[in-house]
Amino acid sequence: MIDLDCVTKIYSKGQPAVNEVTFHIDRGEFVFVVGDSGSGKSTLVRLLLKELEPTSGVITVNDKVLNTMTHRAIPKYRRSVGVVFQDFRLLEDRNVYENVAFAMRAMGYWNRSIRKRVPEVLRQVGLAEKYKSLPGELSGGEQQRVAIARAIVNKPDILLADEPTGNLDPSNSLDIVYLLDDINKRGTTVLMVTHNRELVNKFRKRVITMKRGIIVHDEEEGEYIEY
Amino acid sequence: MSISSFFYNVRQGIKNIFRNSMFSLASIATMTACIFLFAVFFAVIINVRSLVTSVEEEVGITVLFDEGIKDEKIKEIGDAIASREEVKEIKFTSAEEAWENFQKEYFKDHPEYAETFKKDNPLSSSASYTVRVRSVEEQAAVVEYIRGLEGVREVNQSADAIETLKSFNRMLTYVSIAIILVLLVISVFLIANTINIGISVRREEIGIMKLIGATDSFVRTPFIVEGAILGLIGAGIPLLILYFAYDWLMGKLLAKFGILSSISGSLPTMHQVFQYVMPVGLALGVGIGLIGSIITVRRHLDV
Repeated sequence: MIDLDCVTKIYSKGQPAVNEVTFHIDRGEFVFVVGDSGSGKSTLVRLLLKELEPTSGVITVNDKVLNTMTHRAIPKYRRSVGVVFQDFRLLEDRNVYENVAFAMRAMGYWNRSIRKRVPEVLRQVGLAEKYKSLPGELSGGEQQRVAIARAIVNKPDILLADEPTGNLDPSNSLDIVYLLDDINKRGTTVLMVTHNRELVNKFRKRVITMKRGIIVHDEEEGEYIEY
Repeated sequence: MSISSFFYNVRQGIKNIFRNSMFSLASIATMTACIFLFAVFFAVIINVRSLVTSVEEEVGITVLFDEGIKDEKIKEIGDAIASREEVKEIKFTSAEEAWENFQKEYFKDHPEYAETFKKDNPLSSSASYTVRVRSVEEQAAVVEYIRGLEGVREVNQSADAIETLKSFNRMLTYVSIAIILVLLVISVFLIANTINIGISVRREEIGIMKLIGATDSFVRTPFIVEGAILGLIGAGIPLLILYFAYDWLMGKLLAKFGILSSISGSLPTMHQVFQYVMPVGLALGVGIGLIGSIITVRRHLDV
């Protein structure tokens, strides 16, 4: 499903942000990528979104080699990858329903399909009642749920979550990971970047640990290990 | 892009106009000024052109003959003139007709004065041909030719008035083109600026769109629609104003310049003017809007 083969990313100056990283993630896996800030976790997400080009190495997702993907093919690829960020990135001037529907509109869905699918997803993330609220009227946890709903509304194969609990209190953080776990159980491959030790240790998933751009540990049902 | 996306984007484009309403208003105002001036100049040019045509039709060449010329010779001259390609029409006025016309015009209130000349036509040597050429540009050549004919005493022409009108029309055309070009550039610039502000305001939204896999055209279309609509409104307002003001304005003008009223019948009507002004004006408005927005979207919307 996701293959990185000796991937290195060096920004214009200095140390590689990601240094000769190689790993494979199977369809349906739930993987935590952990490490301190500056360890290259977020660069990894941006490489997987094809927001960045690797300096060397090959990235393959869903049998598609990202390195050789044309500019025109990027939107179609990104539709197969849902993404959630620490800062939610919701449209502040639109309500919950419109924020989620927006992702479907960008795909060219008709209103009829949107009206059917959006409430389904909002129910799945537990926000069916709040579809009319604006993001500013919601708690952090609720906003992140909206972002997750938007990420999965088009039924992507992969969900990338970059520090999705970074702005949330422990209880909300836990709920978000439960939600991601639920999405994973429905068949979506989930890759979650985090530095939240309690969460990682609680869920006992595969853990890839990074430090200064290098993978220092990769373990099934692993724990958060400090390096 | 699917049809549903297209309609969604059109709605977004319209929303954009209201989102930065001050800049939208500024663009529409400039565009309105630009298209209004264009339409006014266009209408004036069409009017002057039709004036030229109608004057051209009135004006002819008068050919007078040598004293005591024979009728056969006059006919010969007439045939020679008529054989020229440039000649549209040739009409003979005999000395008797000339005298009758003169009497009608000058002695109509006092026919007794004319009685004095009853037996002796004072215009006995005023038989003439009135020649009309197809286009005023050809008049000089025809006059030159007629002057060279044997038996021709005098050739009168009145092309000067037309020449003056024509050169006025040419000058008017150049000045209008220059003014309109400057305004067009300003309009394109203002629309581009409005769209650019819209893009900066929505930069975050555009970023999100890109991340969730929106195509380039999906991201760009609302801005291009916005530009086109601004252009359309900017062209529609002045055309509407002109549509309702044209007859009133023409009435005022004709009343002010009495000399024009004699040819007012041959001036184009509002509908004739709009037949050209409306499609050109609307196309210009939408075109400027599209150019302005496409330039900006290409330059600032890195999708």
